[in-house]
Amino acid sequence: MKKLAKYILMASVVGVLSCDPNLDITNPNQPTVEVFWQNATDAEQGVNAIYSTFARGGFSRWMPMLYITRSDEGYSGSPWSDLANAFGGFIQPDYNFGPVIDVWRDCYIGIFRANQVLDNVPDIEMNQDLKNRLLGEAYFLRAYYYYNLALLWGNVPLMLETSKPTDLPPTSSQAEVWAQIESDLALAISGLPVRYGSNSDLGRATKGAANALLAKVLMQQGKNLEAEQPLQWLVTGEGASVYNLVPNYRDNFVIDTENNIESVFEWQFTINPTEVTDDDVATPNHNYGTSISQFLAPPGIGWSDAEARTWIINEFLQEQTTTGDRDLRLAASLLFSNTDERGPDFTMVYGQTFTQRYGPENPRAWFRKFLNDHWRNEEGYRSPNNYRFIRYADVLLMYAEVLNENGKTAEAYPLVDRVRQRAGLAPLSQTRPGLNKTQFLEQLKHERLLELMGEGHRWADLVRWGDVGPGLAQRDPGFNNFQVGRHEFLPIPQRDLDINKSLSQNPGW
Amino acid sequence: MKQILLIGSVWIFISCCSIVPLMAQSPVQIRGTIIEKSTGESLPGVTILEKGTSNGTVTDMDGKYSIQVSSPEASLLISFIGFSTLDIPVMSRSIIDLEMEENLDDLEEVVVIGYQTIKKKDLTGAAAVVKTENSNKILAASVGETLQGLAPGVSVRTGGAPGQGPQVEIRGVASFINSNPLYVIDGMIADANPTLNTNDIETIQILKDASAAAIYGSRAANGVIIITTKQGAKGAARVTASAKYGVEQLPQGYDMMNNVDFAEMQRRQFTNSGLTPPSSVSTQFDPSINTDWYKEGTRMGNSQDYNVTLSGGAENSSYLISGSFFKNKGVLIGTDFERVAFRINTRNKKGRVTFGENMVFTNSVSRSPGTGNSFYDMPQMLPVIPVQGDRFISNANPDGWGKGTTDAVTYAWNPVAVNAINSLRSNFAKLVGNAYVDVDLTEGLVYRFNAGAELSFDHNKSMRRAGEWHFNQPAAPTNIIENRGLFSSFLLEHTLNFNKTIDKHVFNGVVGHSQQRTKMEILSAGSTDLQSFDGIYLNTVSSATGEAIADGFIPQQYIISGYLGRVNYTYADKYLLTLTGRYDSDSRFGEGNRSRFFPSIAGAWRIGDESFFESNVISDLKLRASYGELGIVTVGSWDYIGFLNSNPRAIFGPDQAAYVGATQARLANPNLGWERRMSQNFGFDAGFFEDSFTISAEYYNSLSKDVLVNLPIAWYLGNLGGEPAVNAASIRNTGIEVEATYRNRKNEFKWDVSGNFTTIRNRVVDIGNLGEGVNYIQTGITRTQLGRSLGEWYVLQTDGLFQSQEEVDNYRNGDGQVIQPFARPGDVRFVDINGDGEINQEDRTFQGSPWPTLQTGAQFNATYKNFSFNMQWIGVFGHQIMNGVRRELDSYQNTNFRNDLNPWSPNNTNTSDPRIGVSVGDPGLIDNARLESDRWLEDGSYVRLRNLEIGYNFLPTIMQRWNVQNARIFISGQNLLTFTKYSGLDPDVTGNGILERGFDNGNWPASRIYSVGFQLEF
Repeated sequence: MKKLAKYILMASVVGVLSCDPNLDITNPNQPTVEVFWQNATDAEQGVNAIYSTFARGGFSRWMPMLYITRSDEGYSGSPWSDLANAFGGFIQPDYNFGPVIDVWRDCYIGIFRANQVLDNVPDIEMNQDLKNRLLGEAYFLRAYYYYNLALLWGNVPLMLETSKPTDLPPTSSQAEVWAQIESDLALAISGLPVRYGSNSDLGRATKGAANALLAKVLMQQGKNLEAEQPLQWLVTGEGASVYNLVPNYRDNFVIDTENNIESVFEWQFTINPTEVTDDDVATPNHNYGTSISQFLAPPGIGWSDAEARTWIINEFLQEQTTTGDRDLRLAASLLFSNTDERGPDFTMVYGQTFTQRYGPENPRAWFRKFLNDHWRNEEGYRSPNNYRFIRYADVLLMYAEVLNENGKTAEAYPLVDRVRQRAGLAPLSQTRPGLNKTQFLEQLKHERLLELMGEGHRWADLVRWGDVGPGLAQRDPGFNNFQVGRHEFLPIPQRDLDINKSLSQNPGW
Repeated sequence: MKQILLIGSVWIFISCCSIVPLMAQSPVQIRGTIIEKSTGESLPGVTILEKGTSNGTVTDMDGKYSIQVSSPEASLLISFIGFSTLDIPVMSRSIIDLEMEENLDDLEEVVVIGYQTIKKKDLTGAAAVVKTENSNKILAASVGETLQGLAPGVSVRTGGAPGQGPQVEIRGVASFINSNPLYVIDGMIADANPTLNTNDIETIQILKDASAAAIYGSRAANGVIIITTKQGAKGAARVTASAKYGVEQLPQGYDMMNNVDFAEMQRRQFTNSGLTPPSSVSTQFDPSINTDWYKEGTRMGNSQDYNVTLSGGAENSSYLISGSFFKNKGVLIGTDFERVAFRINTRNKKGRVTFGENMVFTNSVSRSPGTGNSFYDMPQMLPVIPVQGDRFISNANPDGWGKGTTDAVTYAWNPVAVNAINSLRSNFAKLVGNAYVDVDLTEGLVYRFNAGAELSFDHNKSMRRAGEWHFNQPAAPTNIIENRGLFSSFLLEHTLNFNKTIDKHVFNGVVGHSQQRTKMEILSAGSTDLQSFDGIYLNTVSSATGEAIADGFIPQQYIISGYLGRVNYTYADKYLLTLTGRYDSDSRFGEGNRSRFFPSIAGAWRIGDESFFESNVISDLKLRASYGELGIVTVGSWDYIGFLNSNPRAIFGPDQAAYVGATQARLANPNLGWERRMSQNFGFDAGFFEDSFTISAEYYNSLSKDVLVNLPIAWYLGNLGGEPAVNAASIRNTGIEVEATYRNRKNEFKWDVSGNFTTIRNRVVDIGNLGEGVNYIQTGITRTQLGRSLGEWYVLQTDGLFQSQEEVDNYRNGDGQVIQPFARPGDVRFVDINGDGEINQEDRTFQGSPWPTLQTGAQFNATYKNFSFNMQWIGVFGHQIMNGVRRELDSYQNTNFRNDLNPWSPNNTNTSDPRIGVSVGDPGLIDNARLESDRWLEDGSYVRLRNLEIGYNFLPTIMQRWNVQNARIFISGQNLLTFTKYSGLDPDVTGNGILERGFDNGNWPASRIYSVGFQLEF
């Protein structure tokens, strides 16, 4: 029996040792969804994450390039022929073509983040003003992402709640998307402050930004009467004391004068020299800047994946300033042989003359506004140069356009004059007084081109004016491939169609 | 507590039954000599055991032994590997001389089946035993690679790069995420990656069906590879030493154009498109630059493998100490791998208790540039670009590395520059082993406590020095990043093995508990702006003067805890039944899904031993069948919970500071669980002509359920960081495996030949709810569709070239719409499958499978006098490879051209190469190069002479003068011949994971290895 006792003893030792361990292991790296969304800090971080989307590659690089190249002001001559064709050539056989898809994805990533805030922050007990403001930011940003989807794809699925893997939404028409954006912006306007009390909030969405975006959305739908109100707020209302034009046009595109008085809404970028990725969730050590300058910079410096159509240079040369000089906006907008009026031997391209780099005869021109040639002789994937998405000059011209459309051409003149005079040109009321509505719109098209070229608004302008079509092929041979009824929109990604049968492809694709 | 009581009572029950009163008896001393029957030579190292006890000894160098047994009625069990075991009653004799016969019958082999060893003849499940005499002949860094072609049902695709492990799959793939088998090394569940020294391995068994593998329950669904390392044997110390040296030579590279031909072709390309050719091939053409990039980026590699083993033992103890050094200089410049390994295996017995341990310490280092893939870039790089040149010198490229320029456009990487500028050194210092205590509780009952550990101290150091290696390279600071990881895995096991015979009823088996804790921790630091002096870089983090980088996290941490049990029951040595089960719990699942029972049952009938079965031809026949369920974990440690990601940053304020953002980036599924596999196996083992010919065949049918599908999340959901998985799919693998061996040992020329073949039919049975009408998963250019295999090629179908504009204009659909309006003569004609009048993604169809229909292996071994000969062949048939490199080359854009390129032109219409031109603004040319097209699919079948070895054994009489007992030299050639139609470098393609297997994007090819070596034994 002694032996038996020993065995029993051993058996129990074994049993004790084998007792089931605790299988609840806390993730030491990240908080769970259940413990988050408790307080104001969580709410604010949730909103910050929506802004973080701006520095992602699809948003900060491909989207502005896509707008530029699809319009008649630019094209892609990239040796990456799939890119050259899809960007500005209206040829995209692969509906899942990466650079185009990245834009789609990043917009929806931003929307997913905004939806998380909109679903969770209302239940947080916190300061009500701060809560309203944060919700206002989330509404504004969601509207902004949908604005880009509506412009580029038109008919897209509307995601308005935190995504679930099983969501299979139908396609919403462009009109439905516009309506959703309008409703989000209305909420944004009511929640957002005119200005932020703290300097450290500089760069967040404001009431002015929401009004300006709302005006864009309404104008794009031809709702010019409704568009008057938000623009009024900006130009003659409360916004008038907030915004103005900066005296020096070029200050809108250089790194030392970011977030100036002309800036209505601006994407904030900075350099993170140690970054390893554009993916802002992979590691905190991601790119806080934009790589667009690397992709726009002329060859030898950057990829030169998009460049300017040179017909625009002549548009700039049509009119001289009151002092008899060339329109100073030309040099601010384009890098080409005569960026310096004295010619290619004087035009500096990243530390070398144009002649040294490309010879005196090279006819090419590159968009300059996003570049960093004003402060360094190289580019890279980490540009800190903020992109001023809505400038006050744009707002003034929008208001002029709306007033003109609504039969108030005379009221529109002084707005255009403000923009022209800042550029050193004589007021339009002197040079071309008494234009009728149609003539004035034609003049506005010219004014908008010169003021805003290379800033990504041209595509929306052309669409709004009904000018998009093969008729533009004179200026931009890419439009030879443009099929009316098809190329107004990009193809919906095949992958999303493959997964969700209730989505439909855009017409013609 | 329930479990404790259960175990306790089982224990007590078994113990009570087994206590046999010991009767006083007089011990008897016996001695004798054991010789080999055919040769008459004495046999050292033979084990002599008193039957039913652990009392035993081994024969000395002269085959002599002596043993004291408990009574004159005792029996002796005499066994020796490769010889038939003898069961000899003592019958009061004091001298017993015996002859042993070489055993031609594998079935007497002992097989390790997890927590237990049994005779192969008693196996009921499907387990393959790899003959290490074959696998050890392969010069390779990892165990997996040596298995290629040696076992039916085991597919091995070699990785190629120094220190890179192979892709091993057992019986197909039944998961979208993980197809790797479980490795068990001396009872420790651990990774058998290239850190294990293959020379230490004594046996390799592969458990393939549910019955054999079920003891490993929730981790065994992909099969189990059990590795047992060598042990010392009783006797004087023995020293064996071996050395092997081989040179490695790449197969023929892509045959690309030289400078003159390239320039001519590119001029033609530009002229065809109405463009001025780049100056590099026209006005500024420099005939002195003619770079052969393949030559620049590759070299003759070599492998060295040295081993020394010291082993021996006494009455109650044994030891084995081995040291080894393996080094592989890669065929790509800048790549190498080396490993030092040191092993100590010991066993000590005292009374009823045996202590043992098996421990290996390995230190391995691999070096590579850590970025890029030269096999992809080398063929594309232009011959008109020099490796280095003054005109490339700039601030960003101080060494003037050659790269694409505006007048010689290519984005391919300069492989020499990549290697000079970037470096990655990975160091893994590993300790793997286990220690155990066996207690002989009573007759037929052994308790074992086994503690195992795998520790890996990882250190990676990457540096980016100054310089540029491709056209338009974005500016980036030089930097250094070091990361250190600690991987730890601890195993604790209590098992009780039992063995009981009652008349004709034999019971044996094991019950126990097993628990394993695994954790990985990573800490990394780095800095930008390296300092260098006279070209020498300082290489510590603190020596760099720029921005600091720090990161630290725990990517995995989990616990698996489970109860295991197996009972083997044999009646009359003819009827066999095995019941196996394991109840596992795993922390990687949510509370409700954490535990599961994995049972299996198997039976066998040794019909050949039935009295009614009389045959002169068939000497042995056994029928087997099994059914059971296995599992596999395919999730990360916390995938079942949604997490907030705090990596986003918003930039605000005049100083443009970064503010923390938090968002759920990745969607989560709380209901994650195991992937399960229900597997059936039917097989037989037969021996013919006194087992000189043996054959085993298996039919298996395994259905995986709850397979995790990484739902291809629609992009509109905004998900990031990996797609959430759902246990939704089901995959069936069925197939036949046959293995046969014929041995001829009768003459002086002794030989054997073995062959095996495997068929795998892989079918998706259920794909989960992927949305209305969707029954497939799209992954790049493959589609995994219900009723088909994983990752079949889903691409456009081509139909030759348009020979004239008329053909283009007349190529219309039913409505008269021109299908390819952009095409010109000489362009590829695509088939408008859906007849909608245009070529788009709706026209994709299934154009082939990456799955071989047949995989075979054959081995031939022969000895004649002192010569030995080994030959291994493998053959893989019936699958399609996507040649991604060829696609780049034949796009014609920004790349060098194939030497045999023969583009279509109006005067040269008898060709399959389309017209050449610049594709910007020419959609016809772009379409020709579409990736999703059957143009790039090629038959991947091949037959390869895997190994050829000739060895010579020196006569012992000659060698004894130097105290050498055994000496052998050999020469061998690996991968000497490959027969294939595939135009890429090597048809043995590893591919892009499970769903794009067979995608050759610059796959590292298997080298030819010519080696010489020797073995000595003192």
